[in-house]
Amino acid sequence: MRVTQTMLSNNMLRNLMNGQSKMDKYMEQLYTGKRISRPSDDPVIAMKGMHYRGQVTEVEQYKRNLSEVHNWMDNADAGLDKMNLAMQRIRELTVQASTTTYDDDALKSIKEEVSQLKEQLREIVNTNVNGKYIFNGKDTSTPPMDEDGNITFNDEDVMIEISKGNELAVNVRLQDIFHPEDGNTIIEGIDSLLDKLEAGHSEDLVEIGNTLEVLDKHASNIINVRADLGARMNRVELIENRIDEQEVIAKKTMSENEDVHFEEAITNLITQETLHRAALAAGSRIIQPSLVDFLR
Amino acid sequence: MSTFHGLEMAKRALAAQQAALYTTGHNISNAHTDGYSRQRVNFNADIAFPPGSRNSPKIAGQLGTGVDVGAIQRIRDQFLDTQFRTENSRDGYWSSQRATLSRLEDLLNEPSDSGLSKTMKQFWQSLEDLSVNPENSGARSVVKERAVAVADTFNYLSDTLKSIQADLGDEIKITAERVNVLLKDINDLNKQIKRLEPHGYLPNDLYDERDRLVDELSEMVNIKVHTSDSGGDALTIAEGVYSIELLDANGNSLGDNDEKVFLIDASVDDLDVAENEFGIIFDEDDGYGFTVADSDDSSIAYLYEFKHFKQTGTLIGLVDSYYQYEGQSETTMSIPEISEKLDKLAKEFVEAFNEQHRAGYDFDGNEGIDFFDPSGVTAGSISVAEAILKDPNKIAAAGKRGDDGEALVGDGDNALELSRVFDQSIDDLDNQSVTNFYESLIGDIGVSAEESIRRQENTATLLSQVENQRLSVSAVSLDEEMTNLIKFQHAYNAAARSMTSMDEMLDRIINNMGLVGR
Repeated sequence: MRVTQTMLSNNMLRNLMNGQSKMDKYMEQLYTGKRISRPSDDPVIAMKGMHYRGQVTEVEQYKRNLSEVHNWMDNADAGLDKMNLAMQRIRELTVQASTTTYDDDALKSIKEEVSQLKEQLREIVNTNVNGKYIFNGKDTSTPPMDEDGNITFNDEDVMIEISKGNELAVNVRLQDIFHPEDGNTIIEGIDSLLDKLEAGHSEDLVEIGNTLEVLDKHASNIINVRADLGARMNRVELIENRIDEQEVIAKKTMSENEDVHFEEAITNLITQETLHRAALAAGSRIIQPSLVDFLR
Repeated sequence: MSTFHGLEMAKRALAAQQAALYTTGHNISNAHTDGYSRQRVNFNADIAFPPGSRNSPKIAGQLGTGVDVGAIQRIRDQFLDTQFRTENSRDGYWSSQRATLSRLEDLLNEPSDSGLSKTMKQFWQSLEDLSVNPENSGARSVVKERAVAVADTFNYLSDTLKSIQADLGDEIKITAERVNVLLKDINDLNKQIKRLEPHGYLPNDLYDERDRLVDELSEMVNIKVHTSDSGGDALTIAEGVYSIELLDANGNSLGDNDEKVFLIDASVDDLDVAENEFGIIFDEDDGYGFTVADSDDSSIAYLYEFKHFKQTGTLIGLVDSYYQYEGQSETTMSIPEISEKLDKLAKEFVEAFNEQHRAGYDFDGNEGIDFFDPSGVTAGSISVAEAILKDPNKIAAAGKRGDDGEALVGDGDNALELSRVFDQSIDDLDNQSVTNFYESLIGDIGVSAEESIRRQENTATLLSQVENQRLSVSAVSLDEEMTNLIKFQHAYNAAARSMTSMDEMLDRIINNMGLVGR
């Protein structure tokens, strides 16, 4: 075949350009750390990539939601703890008052403490975290208990999504503590105790001891609710572990799909660079001389 | 046999070698001229003496009379030209497809941290956050802002698609005009050639220029060259005038019954009417396709629909991106098709989202209103409803309200349901979810772009192979020219020496003969 200078220089240019475009591709892979930079590089990787990115975002979001779940539950748990302590104290005071060794003045001061404890219970029930009343179901903007100890509460659970399609109730339901269907709430029990303390020795002190039964029932309700909450917190912990694992898996899948294998890309680049240098060296030798250089 | 036979023969030899030297010089000068074919001088041995006639002298014969310059011819293979033009036309199609699709990929910018899918995911995130903190006015504002970002991204994509389409429209117009300019230039060369050839000349450089223009034309539309004689005393190796026929995608004639459709019909006597006006129309009434107007009667333009020219020429490459028509190449993604899908996506998303939003209750316990402006939603017009923009408390995060009609501000159930709209399969989106539908759209564009790159690389390889073959035949080799230069120089010197020896011979006869015995 007849080969001319134009062909040689055209071929050389074309091959150099091909080599350079490959180097450009490998360098882009190394700059970005991604195997592809546009869908046409590999449409399948691109589509999967969009999907996996979505998954990573979702998992991250669920982690964010979980921290809010903790916020709810930890605060509720703390509230129940304090509630329990208050009930214990009330019980102690009731036992003390029911013995005949205290005079009316002493009973008055017990009554004073009990009414303070009642106030504390009210404050706990009206716990407000970040602007939310956490013991009032979905009606988080209104305190469930008013000044007089009357309770109006919303009985709907606050649900938070903790994985795709899975929601978890994060609140403690006031009705589980107060059991309004039983007729007498803690507050009513304490109120009747207060009345009896007020009456003091003018009435039978044994009556005071009788309120213990009511108080104990409520105290055990609180403990039950707390146990239930504890169980849920355990479950959240398990879910959290799973979400952590999912995050690792999702990120790994995303990475495997679209991230560049550095060893491969660097090897490719070095190979290509060698080829490019060889092409340049060969080209520079071939296109330079012509017969003219050798004619006298 | 003439006394001066030798002088005449040497003179012809000098003239012939000189012509060859000049031609070599011309070749060297044009070694890198675009479209130039190397030329060579055709030497013939001149008519020998004596001729076979009645009065011819009875001497030993025949005696050679030297060299005759037959013609100066360019070296070119018409068959390779045909191959080149066919490939060039395909390469033109895929190059323009590749360029447009790559622009579209740049526009959509996926997968990335700034494309529509990311924006939508951020909107989803803000809804999740709202479902967790429905009483938080900050979370509401974020939802509003993220929704605005989604709408903005849709608007931006739609607007930019429109402007790319408008650019393509301009490019189509300009390319069609360029076709006519080329036709005119080719026919001008036809005219010059037709004036020269009847005199027995070979206008090689005009041929080259004409072929270069035809090459350029072949990139835009699929064409075939027919030649017809110029008449007169034209040489048999004269190439004649070019008629340019417009071909369909399979290389067949376009007219009814295989009648040829000529862009230049040079078979007519008067070349002034040989060009037929080429045009392109997008008109609901007149049709969609290429038009060729007969130059005899410019009022009649024949329409050839785009579907005939599948995957040939830059013009169809541009048209395939610009416009969607029946019979279009399946591999392509036209801009109207992408726009239509984006519009559909925006519309269905807004409908599903609004429906879910209306099912909820806002911060003040009122029933949800339309979140996005519901009227005539397209990707270009999608916008967050005015009421929501003014007051993010109108975002219906709650799934219920209290028995007394009061708001349940801690209820984020509807926000959660809203976040699920993205994954809910929608009938009118081919039973896909919003997320999946968009992913498939990106996938489709990716596949089209990948295909266009692959095909363009293939045609480019074929084209460069043909081009190399053509160069192998026609291009100037400097080594060869240098060799020729020396060859012809030697021949020239030898002819001069032969002239000198003739001169000495005559000198002997004229000045030194007849002096015998002096």
